[in-house]
Amino acid sequence: MREIRALIVDDSSVMRKIVERSLRQAGLDPLVVNEAGSGSEGLELLKNRQVDLILSDINMPVMDGLEFLRQVRAQNLAPGVPVVMITTESSEEHVRQAIQDGAQGYIRKPFTSDHVKERVLPLLSEA
Amino acid sequence: MAVSLRDSLHLVSDPRNLDASVEEVFQMMLGVTCQRRTEPAPSEPESVTAVIGFCGLLTGACVFRAGRTVAMRMAALMSGMEFDSVDDIVKDAIGEICNIMAGAWKGKVPDLAANCGLSIPAVITGSDYRLHVLAPKFRLNHIYSFEDTAFDVTIVCDSLQ
Repeated sequence: MREIRALIVDDSSVMRKIVERSLRQAGLDPLVVNEAGSGSEGLELLKNRQVDLILSDINMPVMDGLEFLRQVRAQNLAPGVPVVMITTESSEEHVRQAIQDGAQGYIRKPFTSDHVKERVLPLLSEA
Repeated sequence: MAVSLRDSLHLVSDPRNLDASVEEVFQMMLGVTCQRRTEPAPSEPESVTAVIGFCGLLTGACVFRAGRTVAMRMAALMSGMEFDSVDDIVKDAIGEICNIMAGAWKGKVPDLAANCGLSIPAVITGSDYRLHVLAPKFRLNHIYSFEDTAFDVTIVCDSLQ
């Protein structure tokens, strides 16, 4: 498998580690992980680095994940790169909003590496 | 027609939803089996408490409380790291687990999932403190155990629209 460069955006450092571990367990290897603790940090990082996959939490202080997603798309920072939103928000309305704003996938917490595999791997083969 | 949860109090306050949520979160995020128990959690001099507020059609909070050794064990299971003190990573882990539990709990009732928001976690450490809520609409307080440790989770609802 080709090397995948992922950006994980979450204000929780523990969740960033869990997402990274889940990606590796899902079979993404080799994997290069870039971490951002907020939406604005994620935007800055995307201005200087290319990635193949973005996973972002929604419920974050300062700039939430949906605003981060809108900015990524509006500023064309990661053209063609799949964005997967990860969140505790479980309503269909949140899913619809994320897809409408330009996300390709959605993972609800709690999750396992099987969920990550199911939701993320097909997006990488399409990209 | 506006959605109301007033007639769904029995669904929202069903204690089985809390048990299912806690068990599911521990199994999926920590990889351990967690079960409700009746004996109180052993007290530790210092405890770690995380609070997630609910807003919208239901207002209240989800409160997770564990002794420091339990909190450090949970953080170790989540992060793959070892801890000898309640540092920022342990607090982060406990805040996150409370956040996921609160989300899983409200997700058990579709109208609640769609009409109730979650706050950012607040984490408190210390000793000898209690949670007081005046005249709650309902309150669930359950004790759970995993491995040889125990902790408690409280859902307190102070209004339901």
